[in-house]
Amino acid sequence: MHREPLSPFSIFTQYLLAVISIAVTTSLLYLLSGTLDTPIIALLYMLPVGLSTALWGLKPGVAAAFCAFLAFNYFFITPYYTLFVHQTRDVLVLVVFLIVAVVISQLVGQAQAGLAAATDREREATRLYELSTALAGLHDEQAIARIVAEQTFDTFQATHVHIVAQAQRVGPGKSSGAALELLLPPEPVPDRNPDWLFPLQTARGVLGEIRLWRDERPVLPAEERLLRTFASQGALALERAHLAESETRAKVLEESDRLKSALLSSVSHELRSPLATIKASVTSLRSEAVAWDSNARPELLAAIDEESDHLNRLVGNLLDMSRIEAGALKPNRKWNALAEIVGGVVARTLHGPAAQQHHLEIDVSEDLPLAPVDYVQLEQVFSNLISNCLKYAPANSTVRVSARVQADQNLLVQVSNQGPPVPEEHLDRIFDKFYRVTNADRVTGTGLGLSICRGIIEAHGGRIWAENRSDGFVFNFILPVEWEGASPPRSPLEPETL
Amino acid sequence: MSAPPHVLVIDDEPQILRALRAILTEKQFRVTTASTGEDGLTQAVSDPPDVVILDLSLPHMNGIEVCGRLREWTQVPIIVLSVRDSERDKVAALDQGADDYLTKPFGIEELLARIRVALRHAIHAQGSKETTITAGPLVVDLARHIVTREGAEVKLTATEFKLLGYLAANAGRVLTHQTILTHVWGAEYADRTEYLRVYLRQLRKKLEANPEQPTFLLTEPGVGYRFMADE
Repeated sequence: MHREPLSPFSIFTQYLLAVISIAVTTSLLYLLSGTLDTPIIALLYMLPVGLSTALWGLKPGVAAAFCAFLAFNYFFITPYYTLFVHQTRDVLVLVVFLIVAVVISQLVGQAQAGLAAATDREREATRLYELSTALAGLHDEQAIARIVAEQTFDTFQATHVHIVAQAQRVGPGKSSGAALELLLPPEPVPDRNPDWLFPLQTARGVLGEIRLWRDERPVLPAEERLLRTFASQGALALERAHLAESETRAKVLEESDRLKSALLSSVSHELRSPLATIKASVTSLRSEAVAWDSNARPELLAAIDEESDHLNRLVGNLLDMSRIEAGALKPNRKWNALAEIVGGVVARTLHGPAAQQHHLEIDVSEDLPLAPVDYVQLEQVFSNLISNCLKYAPANSTVRVSARVQADQNLLVQVSNQGPPVPEEHLDRIFDKFYRVTNADRVTGTGLGLSICRGIIEAHGGRIWAENRSDGFVFNFILPVEWEGASPPRSPLEPETL
Repeated sequence: MSAPPHVLVIDDEPQILRALRAILTEKQFRVTTASTGEDGLTQAVSDPPDVVILDLSLPHMNGIEVCGRLREWTQVPIIVLSVRDSERDKVAALDQGADDYLTKPFGIEELLARIRVALRHAIHAQGSKETTITAGPLVVDLARHIVTREGAEVKLTATEFKLLGYLAANAGRVLTHQTILTHVWGAEYADRTEYLRVYLRQLRKKLEANPEQPTFLLTEPGVGYRFMADE
């Protein structure tokens, strides 16, 4: 590949060397002319002619042949020192000499050129092999572009390589069409137009292009062919990455479809049971079946009230879950006091029926640093964890909520009950959607509460986990107290006196 | 106030309109309804209401916009209805001049209480303001800068009183973080919600029987605070 075109100067040098070789041969032969026959001289002239062709190529070889013909005629054919020839025999010798000299240079020249071409092809093949080996197994578009750019840069001795392509990546929540760009070396490209420009062409159309700048050296057809192959290899690799990604996406879609069906079946059951209560209560109230002053009236009305609240919670859970799934759960973070959040949740829980049979013990100090959290979302986490703990707690036991600073950088919150341990193999999975340790019919709920907690805590940059302790079961979560590099603000107490 | 108060309900769900019309009429209100924001604005002009109940998620012109358009020419109390998890919308509506909000689904007692508060504030806005606000054992005297709890004076710092006074003067209404911060500390402190957290905590310690479960100084999650006075 690197048989670069020669400068006019070196071409001239080659011809000069060819002529000099004949001149040297001529002078040697002239010294020995007394002892040598004309045919031997002719034969010896073949030597520099062949060498010239082998060393400097076909044209200098032919030039050497003609020089040899003239020198032979001038010095060694009678009459000497003229280009005239008298004897028929000598004419024949000269003609044969010329033909043989030219034919030999041509043959040697062709062999040389063939060898050079073969070497070039071998080098091309090696380069291509290196490229395709480097590209094999790559699925990341950025990496593919980098490899293509690096190899192009090396192979063509470019000053700049610039690859532009549309990125194909389409992930959940991400939009497509972001540009993929790679520049080698990583500095602005020259002002002028690229010397070469090759499209990255695939079956789906043009993905982008390779732009290449280099010094003044002109472009050889072989180089152009190789660069074209590079471009198509690059395009193929990008295409393959795209296909692989499509396949992953299809799998994800399939999986989420499966989950959606599971959700639908779980949800329709859950939604229908409160509806059944509401419908039954309302129709009996509307009918004559329940007398105006019957004791059943307040009972039925309370049932409707409770069940509609329950429905509302279910719908809220579903919405939250879909928001977490879609990556749309963006906490509206502000500096908040955990004590205030927990207080609100506890006040509401105490009004519910579950709290009547248990003791709620709260150990969340007001002096904890403020936490950078979404008030409403954290309320929900506490509400879900507390109600989950209440649900599985034995009667008359204690459910405890505590929070403390851990290692100066996290808030560790624990919600625990004195309930039975959860088998170790379930501890991780209880935060999965629809995952239940117990039989679904025995406990109410969508199986979403804990996975919503995990979604919220993770959106806050925290972590949630569950563990068994000797005296019960505990949910732990940690929240970072730093927010965008800022520590919790200290209380802005005024210096005024009371 | 001899004529029954006039309530304009703007909501695109016919079931809600039907239910509210039935209940509010039963409670001696005169009820008119509109199912789009444009229609609601027209009706508010042709038949000025005493209270507007406005759903935030309306087709075409949304509730926040309707709020702003109403506020261009009237100070009629506006109570917005919204769904859970739309705190930003609630805050936006309150900043656009809405007086209060209710989260759907809501109990009717809650709605009636909000309407009563709104009507009372509308009257005060026109005439004389109350200078003492009573909430259970608490009495806040805005004119004399004195707070008593079961008759005994509670010592408050100047900022604490400014904050309590502002909340009490707007008793029953929700005030957004930004509104309170701007009013008490100044516009440049509008984002410093941590000030509110700290001062509210102190006020609750001084005034509430159980600071963890306040009964007068209530948190409106993600929105702001509300002072609950006796009706």
